[in-house]
Order: sequence, then C-alpha cells, then structure tokens
Amino acid sequence: MIKLLSPANREVLFMGNEAIARGALEAGITVASGYPGTPSSEIIENLAGVASQRNLYVEWSTNEKVALEVAAAASFAGLRSICVMKQNGVNVASDFLLHLASSGTRGGLVLVTCEDPGALSSVNEGESRYFARMLEIPLLEPADFQEAKDLTKWAFELSEKIHNVVVLRSVTRMSHASGNVICGKLPVRSRTAKFIYDGSVMDPLRGPVISTPVVAKHSLQQKKLEQAAALFEKSSFNSYSGSKKPELLLITGSACFLYSCEAVNMLGLQKRTGILKLGTTWPLPSRLLKKYLKSTEKILIVEEVLPFLEENVKTLAAGMGREIGWKTFYGKMDGMLPSVGELNPDLVAAALSKILRVKKRNLPAAYLRKIAEITSLIPRREQTFCPGCPHRASFWSIHNALQLDGREGIVCGDIGCYAMAALFPSCGFNTVRTLHSMGSGTGIASGFARLAPYGLDKPVIAVCGDSTFYHAVIPALINAQHNRAAMTFIVLDNSGTAMTGFQPHPGLNVGAAGESVPAVDIAKICEAIGAKVAVSDPFDLDKTCKILNAFLQEKECLNVLILRQICALSPERKGKKKFLMQVDGELCLGDNCGCNRLCTRIFRCPALIWNRVKKKAVIDEVICAGCGVCYEICPQKAIKRMEASA
Amino acid sequence: MFSKTNKLNSQSLLEKNVLQSGLCTGCGACVGLCPYQVIYNDRTVQLHSCDLFSGKCQAFCPRLEVNLTSLRDYLFDFRDLTPEIGAVKNYYICRAADSRLREIAQHGGTVTALMELALAEGFIESAVVSSGHHGLEQNCTCARDVATLRSRTGSKFIVAPVVAAFNELAGKETGSIGVVATPCQALALAKMKLKPTADDNNRIDKLKLVIGLYCGWTLGVEKFKALLEQNGTDPATIRRMDIPAGQQILEVNDSQGKKLIPFDFIRSCIRESCNYCFDSTAEFADVSVGSARFGTDWKEMRGWNQLIVRTEKGAELIDVAVKRGFVEVREAPLEALKELKKAAAEKKKTALKNIIKKSGSARKLLYLSKDDPLVKRFLKKANG
Repeated sequence: MIKLLSPANREVLFMGNEAIARGALEAGITVASGYPGTPSSEIIENLAGVASQRNLYVEWSTNEKVALEVAAAASFAGLRSICVMKQNGVNVASDFLLHLASSGTRGGLVLVTCEDPGALSSVNEGESRYFARMLEIPLLEPADFQEAKDLTKWAFELSEKIHNVVVLRSVTRMSHASGNVICGKLPVRSRTAKFIYDGSVMDPLRGPVISTPVVAKHSLQQKKLEQAAALFEKSSFNSYSGSKKPELLLITGSACFLYSCEAVNMLGLQKRTGILKLGTTWPLPSRLLKKYLKSTEKILIVEEVLPFLEENVKTLAAGMGREIGWKTFYGKMDGMLPSVGELNPDLVAAALSKILRVKKRNLPAAYLRKIAEITSLIPRREQTFCPGCPHRASFWSIHNALQLDGREGIVCGDIGCYAMAALFPSCGFNTVRTLHSMGSGTGIASGFARLAPYGLDKPVIAVCGDSTFYHAVIPALINAQHNRAAMTFIVLDNSGTAMTGFQPHPGLNVGAAGESVPAVDIAKICEAIGAKVAVSDPFDLDKTCKILNAFLQEKECLNVLILRQICALSPERKGKKKFLMQVDGELCLGDNCGCNRLCTRIFRCPALIWNRVKKKAVIDEVICAGCGVCYEICPQKAIKRMEASA
Repeated sequence: MFSKTNKLNSQSLLEKNVLQSGLCTGCGACVGLCPYQVIYNDRTVQLHSCDLFSGKCQAFCPRLEVNLTSLRDYLFDFRDLTPEIGAVKNYYICRAADSRLREIAQHGGTVTALMELALAEGFIESAVVSSGHHGLEQNCTCARDVATLRSRTGSKFIVAPVVAAFNELAGKETGSIGVVATPCQALALAKMKLKPTADDNNRIDKLKLVIGLYCGWTLGVEKFKALLEQNGTDPATIRRMDIPAGQQILEVNDSQGKKLIPFDFIRSCIRESCNYCFDSTAEFADVSVGSARFGTDWKEMRGWNQLIVRTEKGAELIDVAVKRGFVEVREAPLEALKELKKAAAEKKKTALKNIIKKSGSARKLLYLSKDDPLVKRFLKKANG
C-alpha cells in the first residue's frame, strides 16, 4: 500500500509536502509540474510516484516558468493542475504569472511555493507573498499538517470558483516536518481535457485565454479577488483561540502559528493572550480582522522574514481606525521580531515576555547539560562538498588553471551544489567571485568579458550545473556568443539535479515518473550556438587544467568545457568505490616542509582526516567514495589507491 | 620550524620580497620541493597558500638573504678567491675536441663536451640541462646520453628552471647529478649545499657537478615574445641566437634567415631580476664557461670558450677531459683575465646601484647583506 494513496479516514503520518501532494490528489488533479528546489521537491516526487495509479501526467519542467505554463494549459483544458516550486522559482515564473492572473484560469490551478526563511537550502530568503498582492491573486498558508492537505484541496475549489490561479505557500518547517493527517476521499472519476475557445474574449469559460483587453480583464481580475476575500470571511482556515478580551492579540499563520502556540504555553500566557490564525493571508478578510482588532489594544504580528502580514493588517486598521480605535502594533517594523532568518518559539517567547513584562523561563540545568553532552558527540564538519564529489576536483583544476594563468581570472558561480564553491577554505579554493540566481553566472560573465576596453582585462569563467544549463543558462550563453564575449564556460555535469535529490532533467533519457524520454545533449547545443567545445573528466586533473589554460588564452571566442562525472551520491554511483584508498604513514610528510598537509589543509575532502597525534593523514574509509583524486594530488604519493573489486 | 613571530611565513616572504619585487630569477630553486610552488610559462607561481616558516623555498632562493663571503669561505679554497670573479684555480681558453659538436654548439662546445665526459666517466649519472620548449619558454631535460645532450646545445638567452628540474630529479631514486647552471642557479645550489633545513631529504648530496655559465642578463619570455612578434618573427621557428662581440646587437636566426636586433630594443626585454645580479661568471660552480669575447678575431674566437676552474672537482674534470681528448685547452692571454675581472666588477657595481635605487637605501640591499665584506668592498666602489 502506497502511503500517499491511503484510504479515507485513515490517520497517516505525512511530511508537509506529502500532505500537500495528498490534498492535490483528493482535489482530483490530472497534471503536476514543477522544477526541483528545496524545500519543495518532494511534492512532485510523491505525485510522480503515484502517476500511473492515479493516471496523472507529472513532469519536471525545464524551469518554473515553463512548469507554470504546462500546468496552465491543463487548466485551460478544464483539468485541475498543480505547479510546484521554491520561493525564487516564483520570480522565474512571475512574468507568465502576471499575464495568467489577468487571463484567468478554468480547471483549478494551484501554484505551490515552498519557501526557505533563513535560507537553509537557498542563496536567498526571498518572499513570494508579495507576488500575490502585486499580481492580485489569492494567497493561502497552511499552519499545520492537516491544513496542508485540506487547504491544498480547498485551493482548487477556490481557483475554480473565481476562475483564477491560487497561490499556496509553505515554508521549510512545514514542508519538511511531519505530522498526523486524517485522509479524505480520493475521487474516482477523472476529467476529460477539452479546450474551448469559441466564446467572446470576455467569457472566462468559453473565450480564448488572453490577458487583453487589458483594462477590462484587469477589472474582472479584481472582482475575482473581491470574491475570494468574501469567501475568506467565512473560511474555517481562519480561527481564533484564547481569551475573549486578550491583553495581547497575536496575528499569525503558517509555521509561525505553531511557534506562537508554543511560546504562549511556555510562558503560561493562555489567559492573557489570544491567537488569530490566518490561513488566507491575501486578500485579508477585513470584517474578521475588525472583530478581533476591536478586542484589544496591543497586537503582535508573528510572521517570518518581511512584514507582509503586518503591513496589510496595519493598512486595514488605518482604514477602520474610527471603529476600532488606537492600537499598538508589535512586529518587524518596531524591531520586536527580526526581519531576517527563521522564527522559532524562543524568539516569539522573547517578544511576548518583553511586551507583557513576564520573565522568560530558562531551560532546566539538567536539560542544558544533556545538550552539551550530545553536542560533543557530533563530528565537527564544515559545510563542504561530499567525499568523491566531482565539483571538488573541478574547482581544484579551475583554481590551478587560474593561478597558472596569473591574471586573477574571475569565476562567476551559479546555483547547485557547486554554489558551495563560494565557501572558502572548505571548498572552492577561493575562486568564485559572484553568485546569484540560476543562470546568472553566465550572464554576468558575458558582461564582464566585454569590460576589457574599460580596464577589466581579466579572463572570465562561468560555471553552471547540468540542470541549471537547461533552466536559465542557454539565453545567456547565446548572448555571450552573439555579443563576442570571450569567456570560458564550464558545465559541471554530474548527470542529474543532484542538490535537490537527483530529479531528472532534459539531459537524461528518463522522465519524472521513470518513463523513457529523449535526452537533449548539452555539447551539441553549445556547438550549435557556435562555441568551441571540449569534454573532460574532472577527475583527470591534468587534462582538465591544460584545457582550461588553453581556453583562458583565447581572446576571441566562447569556449565551453563540459566536466562530466556522475555525482558520488547518485543512486547509480552511491556506495560503489572505484578505488580503495590508504595512506602510507611512512611516506606521509604531514605538516613538514614539502607538503604541509596539502590533502587535509587545502584539498579538504571530508574523507581525509588529519591525525593530530600521529601527525599523519588518514582516510575515513566509511565516508571515502573511492574517487582516487587525493592520490593524484599527494606530492609524496603517500596516498595509495587500489582498484576496488566489483 | 614553526616559530611564530610577526615575521612573514616563507611563502609570503617569497611573494613579497622576490616575486612581487621583480627579483625572481626563474631558477626554480623553490620549485619541485612541495606542491605549492610551480613554474609556468617563465613565471614562478604559488598554487596554494602554505603557512610554514623557514621552508626550503625560502632557504634556497638565491634572492633571499645571503652572505656571499661566508658562502665562498665554506665552499672554496680561500687561496683561490678573487673579489671580482670568485674562486679561480685555473683560467683557460677551451673548446670541444669534436668539431661536429662545435658546429652545433653555441661557441666552443665546452659545456656539452664536459658533460659528455662526466657522463662517460661516471662522475655523474644524469645531467640537468635546459632545453627548448614550445615557443620560447625553456624547459629542462635530464640527459643520460650523448644524443640527448647534443640535441640541447645552444643558447636562447632565456632562463630555464634548472634548479626545479634538479629538485625533481634528486627527489626521485636516482644517482649522482650534474647541472648546467646560470650564476643565480649556481648560487641556489650553493645555498642548498649548506643544508639550512633539517628535513632536507639529502637531495643536495646527489649533486656532483655544477658547470656554470657566464651570464650578463637573460630575457623575459613575455616581453621578448612581444618584441619578436612585432618584428614578424615566430618565436617557435628560432634556431639560434647570439651576441657577436662588440657589436651591441642580438643576432636571431630563424627559418627566414638572420635578423639583427639592436640592444636598445633588447634592453627592455631583460628580466628585471638581472639588474640586481651580483655575479656574471657563475662564481658558485665547479667550473664556469663563457664565450671568448676578446681579441680582434671574433670569427676565430667564436669557436672557443673561456673556462674558469674553481674547485678540486672542477680541476679533476678538466684534467680527465684533456687526457681523454674531450676538450682542447690553451693558456688564456693575460689581458683576458684582466678584462674579465674588470667587466665582472662593473656588473657588481651596477647591481649594487640598482639595488640601492630599488630599496631606496644603501643600508637595505635586498638579498645581499650590508655587512658582507665582499658587498662592502664593491659598495665603496659603487659610491666612489
């Protein structure tokens, strides 16, 4: 029995993302699309896992914009569809989203964005809540696991009621934590795809799906939003708990609701406070808000990162000032809660204790002692590339090639595991100088390469992963070639979307649900653009470095180096060692002149350990992936390698 | 080894006082000892950072702290020492006995002939010599036979990282080694002989012979390449280069024939470090060989070399070489030695002037010590 297909009324432990996937199944979706991105990826993965049982079409799209377009087509054909991405994916999709919000939808279409406050797995803590306000579409935010399922299901109903796309926002602690969920019914009948376009342009169900005439459509769109606001007034996803006349009203939603409950309990403030939990955060239900704002003078708004809810509540309060009276608001704007990073119960408790002048409760000493005990057991490791990671070898060669070249060449980084190359000294070898959004490294490099006449005469390198290549690099690469940007472009091809869990991409001949699909070849694309293309195995340090140095000398053209080596953690590779590695303690120079711990001090593969007592390097055989690269770099050939028997 | 004071670690010291100061001779003394320092395209490159103090790179570098007098006293018979050209046991005019070798050699073919002899007689097992590499960048060859040696004759006035090649070769399991070295390279090898570091691996014990080359200056590859390219010469096609005596020109022979480049153009291509060099006759070699640029008949003298014998080992080598008929020697005219000393003294004074100009003070002499009696002597002359 597949957990995701559990029968109705059964209580199941679901990860937040599984609950969202289950909600979509209960809503009767036919199409699911998305682009992998932590913390969102498990939703599509789970739906792909039941694609055949539920007769779904599930795809990993090339990027988020395409994913939303694919999902929108299903909606236009009257089917229900879900489109999933992480927070910054919404930025990528936003151009289409702007127009989609104006043209409207037919079958229920829900855009799920899983966001990452604190940037645990991101290089930004972007907010897509503002897109809902800016593009005038409804926003829903589940506050627990049951709601994650139920609100998802309801989002489809809402979308079909107002004929527009609905955004459902989750966060890491919702998507990746787990809780009990009581399952609902899975629909038996499926819909037939039918795209009707014979009606008038203003007919939301029968006309062509276009965003023009703009003013008329825009006006229609705003009516849809008003309709949603009216539904939100009565929505059971907005609830209140606590005192009828609280000293302090907490307005919150999402995972912050759980933090708020915990903080209130922690300080024993149940009788002095009330919590208004909002599941519908845009547009705000104004009558509901009025009722609770009236009940007190002090309001604390608990939300993560930017003061989105705070701004909107304050705007409402300003409009109804005569009826509700003066209020004191606490939140981000007065600095009561931080506007960056994740919240947690302690931060909320600190705010509560400050506002209500109660003493913070310290953790029991025994508990703290236990924490200290356990902490010492955790191996000390820095954030870095895994043992056997091809990227470590790739950046080793990039570093060496740049040092040999001697002109302080610039490396523009990009998004993937290899973004960690920006970390020094743990990995990356102090090469990466810029790091932004997917594909931006190549665009930035293309720009740098044209600055030589103005004084920036340095070699320029852009790196990108295989999945990133398809996602957003191709236009930048064409730009570089067409505009004569002499640069070296490196594809770190590890055969999958490794960072998010090996989702397939267009370079592979397998689809989201394991079906066979044609692969699109990176080298051929680059050749077709007109670039000079070379391919190397990053584990071949010497060859890789030589190619790079030759490319860096080229002054006229775009050079592409594809460094191809499968990720050490990929299902195909994991646990299979090519070599068994060992350090010959007799030969190891350690920190003496002639080596000075090159392998553990500079190369820093986590499987290489410096034995402080013996003053020798040793291999951690448990985590060593057997790639053999350390054998290549050891100046003493003290690191031995032996072919591992298959 | 790890005394941590405010001073810079060895690598930073090299970077600051040698590489960034334009003092690097490209000898390769700091290369081939560890994974951090390499030579690439005529440049010494620091690949990764090393935080050791008192490293071998620092100890061996010929452009970091050296007291020439004490080094001379340690390595030579004090009775042979001259202020201008170091130890002189004997001074000859010399050439290879084999006329075929003389034809392909830069001048008299003495260096190749002596190395051939050293290999033949078992003085050494391998010879480290410079060899042309793609374009102008010089590389090194480890020669164990006559054919390899003879394929590497001739000068391109560009330094090869000979000491790096020695380091690499000596680090392997190998027997005795002979090296053909410029003055800066011979100085580096001499510093190694002092065994200044504890974990030396005793590489230097394998060094059995240093044949020094007279050297006025060498060319920086990048600048010289640019000059040649401006003049429509492909560096890769150069067959032979020479400086005819007394003409202030560089003669370049390539596939299209002979080209003459006036010194005025060449000067801008000279390696900066050569301006600070205190030694023109490879004073720290066993024997030193140079072209015989004196007298009137350049055509005749072009086929000969000058030869300074500096050590016992050097004397023995020449002795055997003459006996076995590898070289022919003649007594040099008296004026020749005088002329040589005068030129060498001039070079020393110019070097000191340039050093003071760079450091901004006569008390700061870069790699030389102001308390070194030899330096003091020429400092006085330079000022006077």
